[in-house]
Amino acid sequence: MPEHPIWWLLTMACIVWYSTITIYVSIKGAADIRHMTDRLSGRDDSQS
Amino acid sequence: MTGFHWLLDGSIVGVYLLVTMAAGLAMRRYVGRVEDFLVAGREMDVFLGIASLAATEFGIVSCMYAAENGYKFGFAGATPGILMALAMLVVGLTGFCIKPLRDSGVITIPELIEKKFGPRIRWAAGVVIVLGGLLNMGVFLRVGGEFLVLVAGLDVKYLEIMMTVMLVGVAAYTILGGMLSVLVTDFLQFIVMSAGLIVVTILILYRTSWHTLVATVETKYGAGGFNPFLNENLGWSYVIFNALLNTAAVLTWQTTIARVLAARDTATGRKIYSRTSFFFVCRFLIPGVWGMAALAALGHVENTLHAMPRYLGMVVPPGLMGLLIAAMLAADMSTDSSYMLTWGSIIYNDILAPFRRTAWSERKGLIVNRFIVAMIGVFLLFYGLWYPLQGPLWNYLTITGTIYLASISTLLIAACYWSRANTWGAVACIVVSAVIPISFLVLQQYPPTTAWANRIGSDRFGIAAFVSSGVAMVVGSFLKNSLMPTISAEAKHA
Repeated sequence: MPEHPIWWLLTMACIVWYSTITIYVSIKGAADIRHMTDRLSGRDDSQS
Repeated sequence: MTGFHWLLDGSIVGVYLLVTMAAGLAMRRYVGRVEDFLVAGREMDVFLGIASLAATEFGIVSCMYAAENGYKFGFAGATPGILMALAMLVVGLTGFCIKPLRDSGVITIPELIEKKFGPRIRWAAGVVIVLGGLLNMGVFLRVGGEFLVLVAGLDVKYLEIMMTVMLVGVAAYTILGGMLSVLVTDFLQFIVMSAGLIVVTILILYRTSWHTLVATVETKYGAGGFNPFLNENLGWSYVIFNALLNTAAVLTWQTTIARVLAARDTATGRKIYSRTSFFFVCRFLIPGVWGMAALAALGHVENTLHAMPRYLGMVVPPGLMGLLIAAMLAADMSTDSSYMLTWGSIIYNDILAPFRRTAWSERKGLIVNRFIVAMIGVFLLFYGLWYPLQGPLWNYLTITGTIYLASISTLLIAACYWSRANTWGAVACIVVSAVIPISFLVLQQYPPTTAWANRIGSDRFGIAAFVSSGVAMVVGSFLKNSLMPTISAEAKHA
């Protein structure tokens, strides 16, 4: 185990978690934007 | 001399800026109402919320102070990030304050405060939030400009020009598209920012081995470099103040709470909190590692804030330098846009509330909101140019943030959970928690008292503000209930 294992684990957890969440959020977030703009467009249509 | 290559790195940065600006400006067509402008029509889902919250809460300024913490305190400098992650996780899981806040359907916190304490307290709360928030973000531009100039190896005389260009670009899409533009550009900025942060961190850990980092921190700071309680510059007061400050920030910081208020529903807001919480460890630890690597490579430097960008300028190669600068621009633009918009929302929704006795048309509301955002941009430009930063950046940010975090968090908790709280307590709470941090800033700037203020330290002033705020709320409320029981009872029934 490297020196100061708690800080080592936390640093590695940051890199792994951040890499994973970036890819996941990139895919899911794009879908969220599409749904959000669809809803906003739909609302405008129904109001006009 | 840095690794910045004008053609290669400049092209990467240019493409990033073009795509972001285009996406931000394109959202303008969806803005038809004030609610769209301020809270994205309350149509934000979980993953967009996570990207937006993470991008907003990580700017160049956060990167700089977290790296400075790493440089000056070692791993112990990441303590605020760990405390904030814990606070955000607990609040997200329990819904403490954010559930009643989102359930109430308000646009801003002062609007909820009005329901408990009346319109005058709402107005005062709005003023305090704007005062604390604008003082806090006043240094963002300068620090961001310094980073870019140092990393890219540009002449310092370009600092003001860089600051102005960056601000005008951000202001353009924020003024036109409001929160909708902020969310979409935040999403793009989150991807670019994250890619840059991860790649540069891996490069740094590859170049500076874990053993070198640990040995440097151990030699320089001993056990205090790994444990904040043992660090002579941190200690219990630092940990307690940061625990209070970060919990209050999670509950009331305008850019953070804006994501809960823009969420589709309460459950979505809570998920955004709990799932983003670990990001706040990364937000401190990743730049902290950069700062520690700078310490290992450069040794002692006069300006500790500049150590990390100087180091990056030396080690990041062309190509990756473009990604790094694009990442940092992304981080800063997302932060600036969100800050301008969310603090502008308080000015419109709460401070101008007394002037809107008759309802304004949506068109007029949008024009006023856009004007407010533009004025905040002008303020940032001028304040950023002349304010001389004293002491560590994180200390300045925490003490200016405390001006409102202490009082507004107390008001929010009391509004949500304490039926006996009343206006006397609210007024006492607002006054006390604004006076203490402002006194510290004034004492620190006034030469005869500078040494005294620094000896007591911003942490103890901060703790005093939080404790006094709670005490003032309790004492003020009990006083009114005791001295004017009839009025208090009537107010309660009303």
